[in-house]
Amino acid sequence: MNTTTAVQKKRKPESIGSGYLNILAPLIVLVILIAALEFFTRAFGISRFVLPPPTDIIAQTISNFPEIWPHFLFTLKIVAIGFMISVPLGMLIAALFSQYEILVKAISPVIIWLVITPMITLIPLIMLWLGTDPNLRVIVVIIQATPIITLNTLNGFTNIEGEKLELAKSVGASKRQTFIKIIFMNAMPQVFTGIKLGCIFSTIGAISADFVAGTVGLGSRIVQYTKYNSIELSYGCIIIIALIGICLFSIVELIEKRIVLWKN
Amino acid sequence: MEELGKKTLQEPRIKFDNVSKVFETRSQEIVAVKDYSMEVLTGEFVSIIGPSGCGKSTLIRMLDGIIKPTYGAIYLDGIQVNEEGKMPKETLRKMGFIFQQPNLLPWYTVRENVALPLRIFGLSGQAWEKRVDELLELVGLTKSGQLFPYEISGGMLQRAGVIRAMVHDPEILLMDEPFGALDELTREQLNMELLDIWKETRKTIIFITHNVEEAVLLSSRIYIMGTQPGRLVSTVNIDLPRPRSLKMITQPEFISYKQKLTKLIGDLDLSKIK
Repeated sequence: MNTTTAVQKKRKPESIGSGYLNILAPLIVLVILIAALEFFTRAFGISRFVLPPPTDIIAQTISNFPEIWPHFLFTLKIVAIGFMISVPLGMLIAALFSQYEILVKAISPVIIWLVITPMITLIPLIMLWLGTDPNLRVIVVIIQATPIITLNTLNGFTNIEGEKLELAKSVGASKRQTFIKIIFMNAMPQVFTGIKLGCIFSTIGAISADFVAGTVGLGSRIVQYTKYNSIELSYGCIIIIALIGICLFSIVELIEKRIVLWKN
Repeated sequence: MEELGKKTLQEPRIKFDNVSKVFETRSQEIVAVKDYSMEVLTGEFVSIIGPSGCGKSTLIRMLDGIIKPTYGAIYLDGIQVNEEGKMPKETLRKMGFIFQQPNLLPWYTVRENVALPLRIFGLSGQAWEKRVDELLELVGLTKSGQLFPYEISGGMLQRAGVIRAMVHDPEILLMDEPFGALDELTREQLNMELLDIWKETRKTIIFITHNVEEAVLLSSRIYIMGTQPGRLVSTVNIDLPRPRSLKMITQPEFISYKQKLTKLIGDLDLSKIK
């Protein structure tokens, strides 16, 4: 048999050097940004109530860290637990609904409605129903993050080329085989988009719950610090919250790169 | 006459008996195929040719259990296959479907793609795994087995699509314009490879195409379909000697077949305009 057509080995054009650059470039931007803010706040004498110099924020946050630490742990716990429940829950709901086209059509508007509704509006009600135990804020995270995961996963499940399903039929794949080997795999990139958005929504959920009531959590710290004019610490908490979100997001992205090895 | 004699001796492998397919849209019914009948014997290479929208792809999809005919019956080895419910795996195992696009699953490696029908049909064991490797070697994909589909060329992808349809050792290959999306050179080469495979394995092949030259070169018999509704217009036997090669394209006999078919298809378009 003839084999004149050569295999085109298209390797990813990534060298070690550009790999380093990928990490280094954003870091450089960050350093420049901090330096610019430092210069800007000091040179123009910006009031520390508006924007304290970054070095002050960092110094004060570090010196007050023992006080912030338990709140950090609490928020991290709420975000992490809420997120870890939301991911399988959101995917499960999508998997169940995707089995029937009519259910997808019926449920999609409801999910979009849930995604759009800021769950902070429900928090006073949830407290009324369930009490003021701060651990209940996990529920806020779940109702904030689950719908966006469901929405994206559902999109992934329903956006599939007809020919791929025809292939499944032509080899007599069962419903289960078709779902696992084709529909789910096909949806993987969109599932990960949903999960990454879930990271962001989880953080939003946890912090907004802190804002409404209670004395624990980084959100409530921001309220307190601002009230007592510790603006540097407010900013410090905001940065820590952002870091929680970024870390979660990066972990998911790392897992995605390990799993989604193909290009669509 | 000889053709007739054979038919009385041999049961048709595949038989379409007045098959119709009606698709319903919101506003109207579209008759994709109307009263189509055809008989294919074991080991035959037949082509179905016609303009786009004549329902030729629908025909082989009905045979392979992908869609159900609205009226009529389809028989495989004398057993009606279009009865209610899903087509049984034993029936599906007799057929391999080759799509217009390679239709490889991007999340599996080339080898995993080729082996997919084995996994689904539940065929496991050393012999089957060896078969996968042999087929990969047959089309020069041994080194590409561990690559993902996006890493290999279009011609290679379509070769993988062809051997995937053959991996479970079906006796019948259904090909839906399999090389239509490829460039001329690759297409000619793959056609020749296909003839080699057919010669060696004597599979029964139904080949869908809109390319007259390709149809004449490959087939023993060509079914011409017309549109609106999709229907059988005429049948042409191609009595060119085998083995066939690309050299034959310039021979007078080949050219006369080509002209005959081109004319039949041309008349078809005129009758459509009316």
